[in-house]
Amino acid sequence: MSLPSSVYLGPQIMTINKREIEIQRENAAMVGLPYDFLVNPLGAVRSTFEKAISSGSNPASFDGKDWGALQPFQHFLFDQNGLSKVPILNASSAKWLQPNTLVRFRGMIQDMLGNEFYVGAYKDGSTWKTTKFMDSSQCPTGFSPDMRIWERRVLYCVPVPGQNSWTESSRLGESNNSAEGTSENRQKRCRMDENGVDHMDILAPSDELQNSSSGKKQKDEQLSPCSQNISTMATSRSTACNTARDFLPCIVKIYDTAESELKLNDVFEFIGVVTLDTELKVDKDDYDEFSNGLSEDLSVQFPPDMVPRLHCVIHRKLGVHDFLHTCHVLEPTTHRIKEIRTALLNHLTIALGNDAVAAQYLLLHLLSKVHARVDSMAVGKLSLNLTGFNKESMSIFGNQLRLTVKNLLPFTEYIPLTVEYLNTASLAPKKDYEINRLVPGVLQLAEGSHLMIDETQLEVGTLSLLGVENARLLKNLMELQKVEYDFKYYKMDMTTDVQLLILSEGKSNILPADLVVPFQPSALGSTAITDMDALEAWRWYLSNVRLLPHSIESEIQRVVENDLVAAKQADRNLGSQDLSRLLTIGRLICASYGETSLSLEHWQMVKELERLRRERLR
Amino acid sequence: MSAMKDSGPLDFSAERVLAKEFLANFADANGEAKYLNILQEVANRRVRAVQIDLEDVFNYKDLDEDFLRRITENTRRYIGIFADAIDELIPEPTEAFIDDDHDILMTQRSDDGPDTVDNPDPRQRMPPEIKRYFEVYIRASSKGRPFTIREVKASYIGQLVRISGIVTRCSDVKPLMQVAVYTCEDCGFEIYQEVTARVFMPLFECPSQRCRTNQTKGNLILQLRASKFLKFQEAKLQELAEHVPKGHIPRTMTVHLRGELTRKVAPGDVVELSGIFLPIPYTGFRAMRAGLVADTFLEAMSITHFKKKYEEYELRGDEEELIARLAEDGDIYNKLARSLAPEIFGHEDIKKALLLLLVGAPHRKLKDGMKIRGDLHICLMGDPGVAKSQLLKHIINVAPRGVYTTGKGSSGVGLTAAVQKDPVTNEMVLEGGALVLADMGICAIDEFDKMEESDRTAIHEVMEQQTVSIAKAGITTSLNARTAVLAAANPAWGRYDLRRTPAENINLPPALLSRFDLLWLILDRADMDNDLEMARHVVFVHQNRESPALGFTPLESSVLRAYISAARRLSPYVPKDLEEYIASAYSSIRQEEAKSNTPHSYTTVRTLLSILRISAALARLRFSETVAQSDVDEALRLMQMSKFSLYSDDRQKSGLDAISDIYSILRDEAARTNKMDVSYAHALNWISRKGYSEAQLKECLEEYAALNVWQIHPHTFDIRFIDA
Repeated sequence: MSLPSSVYLGPQIMTINKREIEIQRENAAMVGLPYDFLVNPLGAVRSTFEKAISSGSNPASFDGKDWGALQPFQHFLFDQNGLSKVPILNASSAKWLQPNTLVRFRGMIQDMLGNEFYVGAYKDGSTWKTTKFMDSSQCPTGFSPDMRIWERRVLYCVPVPGQNSWTESSRLGESNNSAEGTSENRQKRCRMDENGVDHMDILAPSDELQNSSSGKKQKDEQLSPCSQNISTMATSRSTACNTARDFLPCIVKIYDTAESELKLNDVFEFIGVVTLDTELKVDKDDYDEFSNGLSEDLSVQFPPDMVPRLHCVIHRKLGVHDFLHTCHVLEPTTHRIKEIRTALLNHLTIALGNDAVAAQYLLLHLLSKVHARVDSMAVGKLSLNLTGFNKESMSIFGNQLRLTVKNLLPFTEYIPLTVEYLNTASLAPKKDYEINRLVPGVLQLAEGSHLMIDETQLEVGTLSLLGVENARLLKNLMELQKVEYDFKYYKMDMTTDVQLLILSEGKSNILPADLVVPFQPSALGSTAITDMDALEAWRWYLSNVRLLPHSIESEIQRVVENDLVAAKQADRNLGSQDLSRLLTIGRLICASYGETSLSLEHWQMVKELERLRRERLR
Repeated sequence: MSAMKDSGPLDFSAERVLAKEFLANFADANGEAKYLNILQEVANRRVRAVQIDLEDVFNYKDLDEDFLRRITENTRRYIGIFADAIDELIPEPTEAFIDDDHDILMTQRSDDGPDTVDNPDPRQRMPPEIKRYFEVYIRASSKGRPFTIREVKASYIGQLVRISGIVTRCSDVKPLMQVAVYTCEDCGFEIYQEVTARVFMPLFECPSQRCRTNQTKGNLILQLRASKFLKFQEAKLQELAEHVPKGHIPRTMTVHLRGELTRKVAPGDVVELSGIFLPIPYTGFRAMRAGLVADTFLEAMSITHFKKKYEEYELRGDEEELIARLAEDGDIYNKLARSLAPEIFGHEDIKKALLLLLVGAPHRKLKDGMKIRGDLHICLMGDPGVAKSQLLKHIINVAPRGVYTTGKGSSGVGLTAAVQKDPVTNEMVLEGGALVLADMGICAIDEFDKMEESDRTAIHEVMEQQTVSIAKAGITTSLNARTAVLAAANPAWGRYDLRRTPAENINLPPALLSRFDLLWLILDRADMDNDLEMARHVVFVHQNRESPALGFTPLESSVLRAYISAARRLSPYVPKDLEEYIASAYSSIRQEEAKSNTPHSYTTVRTLLSILRISAALARLRFSETVAQSDVDEALRLMQMSKFSLYSDDRQKSGLDAISDIYSILRDEAARTNKMDVSYAHALNWISRKGYSEAQLKECLEEYAALNVWQIHPHTFDIRFIDA
C-alpha cells in the first residue's frame, strides 16, 4: 500500500507476500496458535462461537445476529493493519488460493440471488456447532429440533465494468499474479494486450489503439444478448472471460446485514472466507429430472470451480477514490489544487488539439456527479456532446480522447454507436426467468463510471424494435440518469450516476446532451504522459474534488436569480433544465478550483464560457 | 417445529376431536352449518376441495385461541388432522352417482377387508388418502396486509403465511404420486406406500407377513391404475414492483400447487396466495453438494387474483376514518386537486378537471338498452415542456388501473385489439390493446396528434360507445373498453402560433374534439413573475438538493385512491328542480354561440351530457346522492375556463373589458329574473360561470356603484339596481 512505484515491483512483492503467508502457516502450525486469521478464519469463527456458547448464550438467540465473531476480525484487519495482508481474489490468484482462507474481493453487485436458508447451528452429540461462514458441513441430514435454520443473502458480484488496468496494477498487484510458471506470464501478457492501456503503453499510445479497440469490440460482443441456456451461458461466459480477460465473478454470501446497506450496482470490498470447490463438479446427468426445469440450482448455473464462493465476514463500500494509488497523499491546499487544475487543463487542451473551450467543458464534465434527485431531475449531471467530428478527426482526436479519459478515470466504457449495434446490443439488463438471473446489459454500470459514445459511425438505417428501445434507453439515461431494467412483467427504474460524453458530427438528436460544444482543434499534440506523479495527482484531483460540498450565499443568489430571469426573458426557449445546467456549471467551476462557495467571479466565468459556446453554435 | 416445543408433545387425537367439533358445529353468519354442507357436497362428488377458512375458526363460538395458533404454526400437520376428522364426519351421499374405476377398486378392496384389518403390517393397511375423494386446504385469514416475499423469513418455516406477488413462470401440470400401490407376485397382496416427498424409493420386496414367513421375497409390481395421483404444478412468484426497495432486485419464491389449485394461475397474474412455507431438503447427490442448505417453497392453500379496480378496492379501517375526516373538511375539492402532481406548479383548474376524470360519473343504462357513458374524456394541449406528460403519468400512477401509451408508439391495433396467431397452438387469439386493458380505468395517450389518421378512427368508437369492435380473421366480436381517455397533444406547428386561429392550431378533427368533455390549452407565456418563480426554484434546488416546500402537505396517492374509490361508489342523480336550471344554462350557451359570428365550439347535446357528467362527479366528491346547483355552476365554470384557455385572446379582441362584461352579465341576469335585487352569492355564481374571478367582480361592483348604477350593501355586498 505504501509503495510509491509498486507497478514495477509488483511480481516480486507478490512472491514475498505469498511466502509470507506460507511462513505464517508454518508458524501457526508450530506455535499452535488457536487460529490464524488469514489461513484459518473459520477457526476464529469457531472459537468465538464456542466462547459465546460456553458463556451461556443460547444459540437460538444468534439468529440474524453476530455472536462476537466480527470483532476479532475487525481488530485484525483495521487495527493491526491486517487488511493489506489479505490476498485479493481475482482470476489469477484464484488458481493458488487455498479454500477456507481469508480473501478479499472487490466488485460490483450485479445480481441478487435472493436468500438462502441453511442450518446455522446444530447439536452434534451434546455440543453445539455452527456452519456460519461455511459452504457445507458433514452433519447428518434430516431435521431435528436441535437445528437452527438461519438465512443469508446471496449476491452475484462481478469485477467493476470498464475497470481500467491501472487501478489494479499497484494495489491489487500485491497478490495479483503468483509469477510462477509460464502460463501465468502468458496470461499476463495476454491481459495487457486486451486492455491495451497499461502504464507502459501510455508512453506510446497510438500503437496499442488498434488492439484496444478490437479488445473492446470483443467484449461488447460478449455482453450482447446471451439469453440462451444458462449452463452454456455461464460456461461460455466464464471460460471465454477467464482466458480472454481477467474476469472472475464471485458469489458472495452476506450474513446479518441490513438489506438497505447493499444495493445493486454498488461497488464493495468483501472480506471473507473463500471456497473454491473443484472436486464437487456438477454431473450433468445427475441434474435431476424431477425439477421440470423450474428449479435453479446455483451450482449448475455457476459451477463452483468457475465461480468461487465468498462467505463475507466484513464488507465496506468503495468509492471511485478507493481505486487510486493511495500512496499519493496530497495536502489539499487550494493552491496545490489550482496547480493541478492548470496542469490537467493543459493536458486536456493538448489532447483536444488546442481547443481550450472544449477542454474547459471536458474538465467540468469529468468532475460532474449526480448530487441529488429532485422530482425527476438529476441535479449535478453534465453530459457533454462534442460535435464536429468526422471519420478523420475521430481517428486522431477521438482515440486520443479515449485514452486520455481511460488514464484519468478508473471505470470507463465505450460504445461505438451504429445502427447494427443499436439493433443487436442489449443495453438494459433484463431478467431471464428461464434461469432466474438478471442478464447484464451494457448500461449496468457502477456509480461514477464514464461512458463515451461515438456517434460518428452512425449511418442511415432502419431501427428494429430493439433498436428503438435501445435509443430510448440511452435518451432516458441522458435526461434522467436512469436505466429501465426489464423484468418482463414490469420495468423498474434504477438510478445511475454515469458521466456521458458523446462524440458526433452534428448535434446528436438521439442523445440530447446537456452541453453541445462544437469541437475546433487547431493543432496536433502528443498526449504522452511522462510524469507519473502528475498523472497520479490528476487522478486524485478528479476523484476527490467532485466530492466537495457547495453552497450559494444569499448575495450571489440574488445575482444568479436575476441573471437567470434575464436569460429566460431573452430566450423564451430556455427551460428549467437549461437554467439548472448553468448552476451546475457554476458549481463545477467552483469545485474545480477547490472552493466550496460560489463566488461572483466563478459566476462570471460561467457566463463567459457559455457565451463562447453559444458563439460557436451559431 | 418450535410450536411443538412450546406446547409439549401434542395429543393429536385430542386435536382431531377439536377439529371435528369445529367442523360439525360451526355456523356461519346465516346460521348455516357451513362445513357440513360442504361435506355433503363432497359426499355427492360435486366438489373436491374442502377449504377451511381460518377466519371461521376465529369466529367460531367456542374459539380456542391456542388451537388457532397451533393451526397457523404447524399447518401441514393440521391438514392431516382435519382430513382425519372429515373421514369420521363424512355423511352418506344423498344423490346417486356413477361408479368409476376408483369406486370399483375400492369395493374390491373393502371385500378383502378382514384380511387387512388383522394384519399388523402398516404397509398393508390401506392408507386413508387412497379412500378420500376430497382435498383439504387451510386458508389464512384475509385480514391485514399480506407479506411481501422479502418479509418471509426463516422463522416462518412451517407456518401458514399470506403473500402477494406476480406469477412469472408456471410448469406443466403433472401427476404426483400420493399413494403407490403394488401387488405382490407371490402372495397377491396389495401393498401401499405413502409418498410425501417429490422423490421416493420404490419398494421391491414384498413386506407382507406371508412373504416374510415364507421367505419368498415376493416381487412387487407397481399398479399405476390403483395408485393415487394428485395434480401438481410448480410456479414462480415474484415480488411486485412496488414492494421492491430502491436499488434491489425483486425476490422470487417457488410455489407448489396441488390438486384443485392447479391451472389457477398463469404467468403475469398478480395474485395473493396463502400457503405453508416449507423447506425441501435436497436429496441424493445434491444434498452432498449443498450441505445443509435448504430450498424453500410455498405450498399453496388458496389463490386470490388481484383485481385493481376501484370497485373492488377494499378500504382499510384507518382509511375509512381518514376519508370521513376529509369529507367533513369543506375544502376537499381543492385539497384533492392540489395533491395531484404537487410538484407541478399552478394549473389548478386543470388539476381539478383531472380529479373529476378520476372520479367520473356513474354509467347510465336507459330502459331501451342505450348506454350513456360516465367516464370523462379530457384532452390537454399545449407547448412542449409544459409538463403535460408528467401530469399524464402522475394520473396513471394515482389510478388503480391505468395504461399509459403514446399515439406514435401504438398503432390502432395496439390501442384497441389485435388478432394474433398463438405460436404454440396456431389458434387465432384475441389480444386486447391499451384501451381494452384500461377497461374500467384510465387510458392516457400522449402525443395524441401524432397518431395516424386510420388509428384515430378506432378511438371514436371507444370514446362514445366504449366498446372495441373487431372483425378480423374470422373473429367478430366487441370488447368492453369502459375507459376514460386522457389525451395530450402538441399544437399543429410544434408550438402554439398565436397569429393563427385556435382551430388551425389544434390539429384534430372536430368529430374527435367534440368527444372530449374538456379541452385545455396550456401555453408557455412570457411572464416575468413566472420566470422569477422558475429561477428561484432552480436555485433553491441546487442550494438545498430538494424541492422547495409546497406550502401545504399533499395527500398521499394511497389516500387519494381510497377517497376516490369511496366517492365512486355513489351514483348521484339530478333532482327535478335543477333540471330547469341546467336546461336554461345550456340554452344560453347555445344562444351565445348563435350570436357570435365565429363560433369556436359546437355546443351539442354532447355538451349537455358533459355538464351532467361533471356535475355528477362533483357530487360524488361531496359524497352526496344528489347533484346540487353549486355542482352545476362549478361544471359550467370549468367548461368556460377550458374554453377561455383556448380563446382568451379572442375575448380581449372583442372590445369588452372584463369589468363591463361582468356588468352586462349581472344586468342581463337581473333582467331575466325580473328582479332588482341580486345577492352577492348569485352574482358570484353567474360571473364565475363565465370565467371571471371574485376580485374582478368586486372591482366591477365598486366601479359601477361609483356611477350610481347600483347600490352595494356594505356588509353582504348584495346588489340593488337603481331603477332609471
